[in-house]
This record gives sequence, C-alpha cells and structure tokens, in this order.
Amino acid sequence: MTAFLRRVGLCLVAYAALAWVPLVTSEYHTHILVISLYYVILAVGWNLLAGYTGQFSLAHHTFAGIGAYTSALLVQRAGIPILAGVVAGTVVAALVGYGLGSLCLRMRAIYLALTTWAFAESIRLLVTVEYQITRGDLGLTTPFLFGTPRARPYYYLFLGLALAALLAGWQIVDSRIGAYLRAIRDDEEAAATMGVDTFKWKRFAFVVSAMFAAVAGAFQGHYIGLLSPTPMKFNEMATIIIMVIAGGLRTFGGPPLGAIFIEVLSELLRSWGEIRMVLFAVLVIAVVRLYPAGLVGLLSTAGARIGPRLPRLGPRLGLRRPAD
Amino acid sequence: MALLEVDEVAAGYVEGIDILAGISLRVEAGSVTGIIGPNGAGKSTLLKTIFGFLHPRRGRVVHDGREIQRSAPHEVKRLGVSYVPQGANVFPQLTVQENLLLGAWVERRDRARVARMLERAYETFPRLREKRRHRATSLSGGEAKMLSLAKELVTDPKLLLVDEPSAGLAPRVSHEVYARLVEARARGVTILLVDQNITKAVEVSDYLYVIEGGQVRRQGPQADFADHLRELIRDSLLGA
Repeated sequence: MTAFLRRVGLCLVAYAALAWVPLVTSEYHTHILVISLYYVILAVGWNLLAGYTGQFSLAHHTFAGIGAYTSALLVQRAGIPILAGVVAGTVVAALVGYGLGSLCLRMRAIYLALTTWAFAESIRLLVTVEYQITRGDLGLTTPFLFGTPRARPYYYLFLGLALAALLAGWQIVDSRIGAYLRAIRDDEEAAATMGVDTFKWKRFAFVVSAMFAAVAGAFQGHYIGLLSPTPMKFNEMATIIIMVIAGGLRTFGGPPLGAIFIEVLSELLRSWGEIRMVLFAVLVIAVVRLYPAGLVGLLSTAGARIGPRLPRLGPRLGLRRPAD
Repeated sequence: MALLEVDEVAAGYVEGIDILAGISLRVEAGSVTGIIGPNGAGKSTLLKTIFGFLHPRRGRVVHDGREIQRSAPHEVKRLGVSYVPQGANVFPQLTVQENLLLGAWVERRDRARVARMLERAYETFPRLREKRRHRATSLSGGEAKMLSLAKELVTDPKLLLVDEPSAGLAPRVSHEVYARLVEARARGVTILLVDQNITKAVEVSDYLYVIEGGQVRRQGPQADFADHLRELIRDSLLGA
C-alpha cells in the first residue's frame, strides 16, 4: 500500500472515530468544535508557510477573509451555487497570493512580515470603507450552506476539511517538495546553489497556504451567515500564530493540537475579555523559552517516558525510550 | 578551448563600490584553474558573480559559448555549473541522503539516474553511506565539508566553482578534500578553485591567477608559480 493510501485510510479512521462527538455534545459545544476545526485548517496552512518554509507572513487571516467575501458576494450578487462561490473564493485568494508572493517573497524576515501586515491592514480597511459593496461594519449576510445555522452538519464538513488539510500538508511535507521547502528555510542561498528555484517554491508554499485559508474562510462564512471585517484584524493573525507555536511550530501534529487547545481555552476564559490575549502572549513566551517543541513535543516526551513502563502496550504504540 | 570566460566584469554589493573592477579570465575545459590573492581581493565575489548571486554592472560571463551574466543561480546550475561556497554548505535539519537528493535536484525526473548518482556519491565518500540516515547537524566539520562537495559532484557538473575548500579543516581532512577534487578533474570536471591555501592551490592547479583589488595582477601556468611559493605567500599575507 502506498504511503498516500495509508494516510487516506488513517484520515478515514479518524473521521469515523470522531463522528460521534456532536451526538453527545450540546449545540454550543459543537459550535466551539466547528470553530476549532476552522482554526486547525488555518494553523496547518500557516505552519506549512512559516514552519516548514520559514516565510513569516502576517496576512494569512486576510486570505480567509478574501475567500469568505468573494464567495459571499458572488453567491449573493451573481446567484451562483455556494460550492461554486467557495471555489471562486479559493481561486481569487490563490491569485492574490500569487501576486503578493511575487511582490514580497524576495524580501527577508522582518520586511516580509511588515509587507504582508501592511497588505492585510489595507484589505481590512478596503472591506470596511467599501460598505456599498461589502456593507462594511454593518455586516454582509451570507446564505447558509446547509440551510440552517445549527452546528452539527458543519461539524462533519469541517472535520472532513481539517483532515483533508492535514492530509495535503502531510503529503507536501513528506515529499521531495517538503525537503526543498525545509532546505529553503534552513539556508536559502545553499538551496539556490543546489539548483532549486527558491523564489518559485516559496511562492508555491505561499499560494497553497492562502488556498487553505480561503477554503476555511469561505465555508466558515456560509456557516456563520454574517461577514464583517472584524476577523480580518491583527488579533486573528496573532491567534493563529499562538495556536501554531503553542502546539509546536514545524511539527505535523502541533498546529491542530494548538488550534483546538487555544480555541477551547479561549472559550473557557471568555469572561476575561481581551485580557485573554495577554495570557496567550505569556503562554507563547513560556513555550518559546522553555519548551520550543510545544504541546506536541510535551506529549511526545511524556509518551516516550511512560511507554516503556507499559511493557505490552508501549511497543504496540511504537513508543521507545528517549535514549534509543 | 575555454569553458568559461569572464570578460571585463565589474560587480559589487553596494551601489558605486566595485569589488570586481573589470576582471577578465579564462578557464580551460578539463583543467583546474586556481584563483589566489589576499583577503578582500574579490575572490569569493568572483564566484558569486559567475554563479548568478550577483549580477555584474558591466562585462560578460560566458559559459560554454553562452552569456550567463543575467542568469539566476538555478538557471546557471541547469547549465552544468556547480558551486561549493565557503564553510559547510549543508542543510543541518535534513539527513545526509536528503542533502544528496537536493544535490540531484536538477535530475529529479529521472529516478534511475538519481539512484545511480547517489550510489556513486556513496562510493566516492563511503563515510556518507554510513551516515546517510543521520541529520547533517550530527556530522563533524570534515564530514560536512565532504557532504557539501558530494552534493555538488553528484550531478557530474561541467564546471565546479569551489571557494576555500580547506578552510577550518584539519590537515588530514583537507588532504582528502583536495584528493576528491583531483579525482573529479580526472573524470573531466573543470574546476575553478578559489583558495587561501596557496601551497595546495598551486599544487592542484594547472593555471593560476593572482587577483587583487578586483583585478588580475598576475597569471600563468602552474610551473611559473611553483618556484615562487614563498613570495606568493608573503604577498598574500601582506596584501602586497
């Protein structure tokens, strides 16, 4: 069996294993899970770009907004089916990502971050002031994908999308392209001496991550039923960064784990208001300083220590002593 | 016949300051051409300019009859030019095998050929075969330099640009690096070697250029330099 088919099988097993969850949770908790899964897609996409390719973009949330507004406006104004709107939103985000990537991916580090941040703010302001088209802060109503605002069908949709994003990310990272992306991150000049067209592959990662965000944003728009420029604020980008770093930057399991952990924690601390962001910032500083591998590294270390003490179960789980 | 011609090239990193000030040289096919000179002479800049990291302000770089002075590094690489920069030019987070696969990037569509290339690299550098599943970060300085060289030689380049191959290496390891370069020349690889190790550069080169201030000060076949090593080393150290 090829690695791809094995991974598809794993994703199907995971889907089946998690399908019962909304049957035993309340509407509110199912909604929290849907939003968590939305963030899983965003976090996986940003990790591909920042974690594996080393390109620190601050416009990832904007691509979710571009996907959402494109889809909503086309469905509302042109009367196209919702799925066609989502495809159109993804294509527009990919084209914008291609253009923005072409302009700014020759820049390094802080300049790339500043340029993408400026782009993100420009788009947010544009959406806010062009209220005749976008309705600005008044909010743009969008039709529901399943004709209902109830969370359960969207849970199944977003679970499938999140697993598809993980599968796509896994395939890319584990392929030769993944090795080239990591090479660019480690030493761009050395990658160029290898004959790797570093700019082309950085742009590839930028466009792919923009598409992940656009798909998530477009479907989320047709779940919430109302779009506004608020999720295009920098806070949203900061949340994605916090999720990836807390979960484990440059790890496969870190972003989904971090996304669910931070979203659930955020809901638990909702009464704290914006103070939550300060708490999350402290959490990120603590993770970076004390445990850069994040939650996934913590679980891995714990598993490696506990596993060998479970003589029969440990080997079956593939756990080994840290020294092995 | 010259495989590479550098013709009146001026280049630099900052507007208005030329590190290369109208330099001209030729590299004959199948030869080792050595470039020596004091620190700051423009030796490394010359290699970066040939490989496309720097685009000259004026002049031409001609490889195999084709002008490449406006080409990007990946385009120059596809013409059969490889570049081994100073230091251990490896990807620390990738395994030895992944590093070599990156070396074979331009041949990636021909899997059988890539497999043959890897096998030959392991035959030439047996230590790398033992460590093929190890991350490059676990290699010693000498092993990392071997890997750096192996991933460039793996594609059988027409022209190999090598910058300071022995910098920071123990004499025994350094000796092995030069031995691999001589073997590559025997297989028909043309080499342009920039080196501060004047004794070794003169020993392995067929033709040498002494550059200073971004221009050629002296040139000639190896025999012209072999008898004046002491003066060359003194001039190089003093920048005279």
